[in-house]
Amino acid sequence: MIDAQGLTRRYGEFTAVDGISFTVDEGEIVGMLGPNGAGKTTTLRMITGFLPPTDGHLTVGGRDLFSDPVAARREVGYLPENVALYTEMRVSEYLRYRAMLEGLSRAKAGPRISETVKSCFLEEVEHQIIGTLSKGFRQRVGLAAAILHHPSVLVLDEPTVGLDPKQIIAIRELIRELGHKQTLLLSSHILPEVELLCDRVIIIDRGRIVAEGSPQDLQESWVGNTILRVELKGAPAEAPDVLRDLPGVVAVETLAGDPGCYRLECTKEADPRQAVFEAAKQRDWVVLELVREQASLEDIFVRLTTQEPGASPGLGEVFSAPQEEVPS
Amino acid sequence: MKGVLTVMGRELRAFFFSPLAYIVAALLLVVNGLVFWLIVSYLNDPRAQFGAPLELFFGQTLYFWLVLLFVAPVLTMRLLSEERRSGTIEVLMTAPVTEGQVVTGKYLAALLFYCFLWLPTLAYPALLAHYGEVDWGPVVAGYLGVLGIGALFLSVGLLASSLTKSQLVAAILTFAMLIPLFTFGLLENLFSDAPIREVLSYLNLWQHMEEFGKGIVDTRHLVYYLSATVLFVFLSAKALESRKWR
Repeated sequence: MIDAQGLTRRYGEFTAVDGISFTVDEGEIVGMLGPNGAGKTTTLRMITGFLPPTDGHLTVGGRDLFSDPVAARREVGYLPENVALYTEMRVSEYLRYRAMLEGLSRAKAGPRISETVKSCFLEEVEHQIIGTLSKGFRQRVGLAAAILHHPSVLVLDEPTVGLDPKQIIAIRELIRELGHKQTLLLSSHILPEVELLCDRVIIIDRGRIVAEGSPQDLQESWVGNTILRVELKGAPAEAPDVLRDLPGVVAVETLAGDPGCYRLECTKEADPRQAVFEAAKQRDWVVLELVREQASLEDIFVRLTTQEPGASPGLGEVFSAPQEEVPS
Repeated sequence: MKGVLTVMGRELRAFFFSPLAYIVAALLLVVNGLVFWLIVSYLNDPRAQFGAPLELFFGQTLYFWLVLLFVAPVLTMRLLSEERRSGTIEVLMTAPVTEGQVVTGKYLAALLFYCFLWLPTLAYPALLAHYGEVDWGPVVAGYLGVLGIGALFLSVGLLASSLTKSQLVAAILTFAMLIPLFTFGLLENLFSDAPIREVLSYLNLWQHMEEFGKGIVDTRHLVYYLSATVLFVFLSAKALESRKWR
């Protein structure tokens, strides 16, 4: 549905998006994740046809954004980051206007609007002036306007930003429901949200894709080896050697400045917690702490996006992001 | 075409929903009504020179121009700058409409509202016709001039509005562009060079309106308004598009 190849956008000297390539297939829900300023909004603006890419190739719903921009825009429904609406209009008027703008006929617009009003739970505010609505309702109006013309791709930029927890849950439910029917690309800097909603995650940082895959894939491939943290009272001298000999343990690191704390690197499937406990019991060591650390998506995200540029050995291999060289 | 009409429709509604539009309408009517009353009572004085009231009404008083110079920035300042400020431009320009359609729709809305503002002044010739003879030719020509010059001024305002996010800046910019546009022609008498005089006279809007008021429809004037208007609307579309290559 979306096919981006070597997408690049520069603002003057500054490169906001730097040759990213990805595809979104029909019916997929893809989340774009990245810290603020990573290039998410710029990428989405290119997909929606608001900004043309400086370089690269982009088709949406099979239509090229360069050669056929108006038709390509018809394929896309877009909810911009700061849902901007005409505050002097009533909800129903605004939806009618958007329907017309998308080229729906007058006869078609009517039923389409009432159907959308229902699916976005806007019945109670249908005749209210937009300026008087709460942020949550405005977000829903924006979403309703974006899906009015049944676009083949729905693009949502930070759909839950600025909402209270209750509204966030409502919008998420709405998004999940839409995701069953539609191809959906959404951006967020909130991890659990993406984890919750998306089939696939694209993590971008500084205009580049740093990782891509399903939330589970990302977790598994990053976690690699299981890490155990062990703290033993009194830091017995032979502890590192004993721990290293336990089955499944690959390496033992004594944490500097923290006597008695060890970091055990174990093979992926191994869970030597019981062995550690038994070894300690045999020698009358007191186990103060025994924790298995698992990298959450959050850790991955933080690690991926806080690295200095150029100082990320191995990351590319771990995630094998399908990042081809940009044909120049 | 549908895109143009949709944008125009929304913009017209916005005009009628905004209090500013009513303030402008009231001001225009008060000033025009006052000027008309003054002209009629002046001409009723037996010692006054002979003249047709509407000939004087169209363009021969400073008020006419003051109002026009004020109305154009106020009607147009919101058109594109507000869309950019609030961010609705993003929704608009990701809909399947082109910059040209958006700009044209907005311009036509401003022009229609401008015509609506002048509509009540039709009461003046109607009143005169009730009490005496009216030569309708010059009246029609006068309104043609009002439309032509208004169209030009509004297109300048549209361009200014496409260049900034701030309505205030747009209004001031419009004013700054209209002042030379209006006054260049008046400098005509300061020059003795024939070519310069000719160019300035071609641009002399005051003189144009004088002629329209007398019933002289010089198509050169209309071509000037129309071509300049098209140019400014075109430039506005390009300014709106400029986000793409910045």
